[in-house]
Amino acid sequence: MPHETNIDARVAHLNQRYANHGALDVLGRALKDDQVGRIALVSSFGAESVVLLHMISVLDVSTPVLFIDTQMLFEETVKYQQDVSSQLGLTDVRTIRARPDAVAAHDPEGLLHQTNTDACCDLRKTEPLERALGNFDAWITGRKRFQSNSRATLEFFENEGNKRIKVNPLAHWTPQDVQDYMINNRLPRHPLISKGYPSIGCAPCTSKVAPGEDPRSGRWRDQDKEECGIHFVNGKIVRGPLPKDPPMEEVKPMNTIVTDNGFAPDTGADDFVTVEELETSNAARAVDLPSDADPMVLQEVLERLETIRVDFPTFADGRGFTLARRLRLMGFTGKLRARGHVLADQYAMARRSGFDEVEISPELAERQPWDQWKVRAEWGAHDYQSRVRGTA
Amino acid sequence: MYKYNDFDEAFVRERVAQFRGQVERRIDGSLAEEEFRPLRLMNGLYLQLHAYMLRVAVPYGTLSSRQMNQLAFIADKWDRGYGHFTTRQNIQYNWPKLQDVPDMLSALADVEMHAIQTSGNTIRNVTSDHFAGAAADEIEDPRPWAELIRQWSTDHPEFQFLPRKFKIAVTGAPNDRAVVKAHDIGLQIVRNDAGEVGFEVIVGGGLGRTPMVGKVVNGFVPKEDILPYLEAIVSVYNLLGRRDNKYKARIKITVHENGLETIQKLVEEEFKTRKALFNGADRELFAQIAPQFAAPEFSAAPTDLFDATYNDDPVFRAWADTNLAEHRQPGYAIVTISLKPHGKTPGDATSDQMRVMADLAKEFAHDELRVSHEQNIVLPHVHKRHLPEIHARLRAVGLATANVGLISDIIACPGMDYCALATARSIPIAQEISTRFDALKLEHEIGDLKIKISGCINACGHHHVGHIGILGLDRAGVENYQITLGGDGSETTTIGERAGPGFSYTEIVPAIERLMLAYLDVRENAEETFLETYRRLGAEPFKAALYPDDTGKRKHAA
Repeated sequence: MPHETNIDARVAHLNQRYANHGALDVLGRALKDDQVGRIALVSSFGAESVVLLHMISVLDVSTPVLFIDTQMLFEETVKYQQDVSSQLGLTDVRTIRARPDAVAAHDPEGLLHQTNTDACCDLRKTEPLERALGNFDAWITGRKRFQSNSRATLEFFENEGNKRIKVNPLAHWTPQDVQDYMINNRLPRHPLISKGYPSIGCAPCTSKVAPGEDPRSGRWRDQDKEECGIHFVNGKIVRGPLPKDPPMEEVKPMNTIVTDNGFAPDTGADDFVTVEELETSNAARAVDLPSDADPMVLQEVLERLETIRVDFPTFADGRGFTLARRLRLMGFTGKLRARGHVLADQYAMARRSGFDEVEISPELAERQPWDQWKVRAEWGAHDYQSRVRGTA
Repeated sequence: MYKYNDFDEAFVRERVAQFRGQVERRIDGSLAEEEFRPLRLMNGLYLQLHAYMLRVAVPYGTLSSRQMNQLAFIADKWDRGYGHFTTRQNIQYNWPKLQDVPDMLSALADVEMHAIQTSGNTIRNVTSDHFAGAAADEIEDPRPWAELIRQWSTDHPEFQFLPRKFKIAVTGAPNDRAVVKAHDIGLQIVRNDAGEVGFEVIVGGGLGRTPMVGKVVNGFVPKEDILPYLEAIVSVYNLLGRRDNKYKARIKITVHENGLETIQKLVEEEFKTRKALFNGADRELFAQIAPQFAAPEFSAAPTDLFDATYNDDPVFRAWADTNLAEHRQPGYAIVTISLKPHGKTPGDATSDQMRVMADLAKEFAHDELRVSHEQNIVLPHVHKRHLPEIHARLRAVGLATANVGLISDIIACPGMDYCALATARSIPIAQEISTRFDALKLEHEIGDLKIKISGCINACGHHHVGHIGILGLDRAGVENYQITLGGDGSETTTIGERAGPGFSYTEIVPAIERLMLAYLDVRENAEETFLETYRRLGAEPFKAALYPDDTGKRKHAA
């Protein structure tokens, strides 16, 4: 190819040449400029992707579009990708996926994101994209300066690790520019936007964003993670914590106690001690039982206990249900509480196993409000066990 | 057959309503995908390679014509006009849309069916002998027990989030057609020295990446104790089973790591307290269930028509020789309809084929069908005089393949064509083997043979218990097929032994051909099956056929 081989020099040159151009111009020239080379658009078909896709469809419908299907996407995204591609008449949309053997080896259950989001992004995004980009000299992204601190100085053209040029035609756009473009060109919206997702990634790691929150705050919520691993800052993959404003002082909200009668705040009336502390504290009447405990450790003290709180570290850990049944079989008649990650859908199971109530976090109580628990509150109905055991 | 009572009916309707709500909550975001996942799995909905997959329970494999017709209707309305019958006696639809699934479940509820607990880390659909109630060798019909266990395990509050999935199989005959030794719990109905009927309880069997033959945890559990006994085993497992590693979470590993004696001791202790939870209501329930499985009123009509057709029509005769099994009632036969036509996907049936099978069941077979774990459909009670017409009508829709128990009656998992976990293709291998031996016209000459193919180490194709097992692996991006020999899934369950280095995709069918020619060469006579020959001679003559070059090369390749 007749262009300079030094990517830094090319990038500098390109940035200078197009410094005063608009997004469409930058994109149009990037598609043709020899200094750029073979180029593809990488699109997530997310909330704002349609802007660049539309530009491509106007400039050259045969531009390769790489769509990374992490196989963790929202169904809506997959459908939206098909709808938009056909509506815009794109002729070279390539779906990129992780190799099945790699998924089988590293994430057979599809649960890697629960324990290691970075590894999950690597497996499902970074590696497949890296492979797909092997044949290209440049790629187009939809990143914008306003999106995060780490993108605040974004240029139109970037040197990606001396391997490729990255083109960011929308670098200088504001959120309003994006909206205007979509309205003016009557572009179809991602169906999840109206459901409270202004930024859309994979289903497990994308949550809703409340009005007033940063639009990207729903990505990897509660994690020190801003980038998925396919972008670099200063030549380095962005990983780990980035500088942030100090958090606001806030009062920790109370947990919620769920009973058949509804939600109630946890007043903290019970003073829970650990199983070990029970031995030295004769006055203790309430104990925390971890999910991996043998309930027999409470045999001696069962009579003096008023409340036993059984831990559910995750909803998928069903040991607590058998622990509750065992404690009842051991003769415990006091209050049994399930605490932790218990879902509304598990309420009937908890009650039927011998629990009296469930203690959940404010976050869970907000996401799964009482009406979702209420439908399972009639836990005595439709119960095969009571028929088999003659307790109906 | 079991008929839903008001309670069962209300239960499945309630579950459909619940799932409809869960789908809505997933879509509106109040359920995260990771939280929705176990809930959809408890209702049989998987996410596969291309799309969702709905697995519908066929309890202990039993269907009426009305139910089979509804399965056809669902295939047409919400899928692509076919269904896939599985080794778990279920049916799977491979192309449903998430938003349609509640309607599909509702359509199933209309015919007393559901998809509850066909997946997820819970007690799965109970499987049984596909010849139950018809086989000549049966001590007692296992289906009423399977139904009782279905009711007990359905929505069992303690056991919806076990360390891993949990499969129970029941058989009532000494000839085990339900592979009970390869299940988490296998129940074998037995008679003790006092002449009482009870259960031999086998625990910790399973295939997958660590195949193990189940071990007897109790040689005789009286009938009335079976539910508390099961509950004791599963609750011990729920607390003891490993949750740190998915591949070590099945009860077979729990038994293996803790030792059978420890498990026995814990189960017996737990059983004592659990027994107090059952006060006889379960026995009353059983007394209501059992009569619903009473044998149909058999006919004593003559079988002349069958005999005449058998003598005159060689095509019919070939089919009758392979696809009929002995019925306990004189004049009757058990018909196995092969879903393994040469060159097609094992276990698939189109909606038209389903409707034909339903019609035949209604007209000639006391309105009953079974799904066998070998992925065929069984008409359990057929008077022989109807067989010529049944054969003709099956033939018209491509269902008269005469290959039950033969080399092309292959069990194969979906493999890389459908499954996200697979590392190699399995269906095309099955198709090529069956096409090849059909062309060689050697199938009937070879006789009784079970080939089983899995497309990955998880062993859904049961290759460990195939007389010949084929395991497809991925070796540095290239499909590689390992052969195991001498496996057996019957009452003499044996895990097959690896023959040697694997074969490439293009080498595997010729390798099987060499293996078969070697067998024909060394067998004592036409009656000696492949498995018998293997047991008599060991692996050597077969290894020699598989690796003709030299042994040095094998050493090198391994």
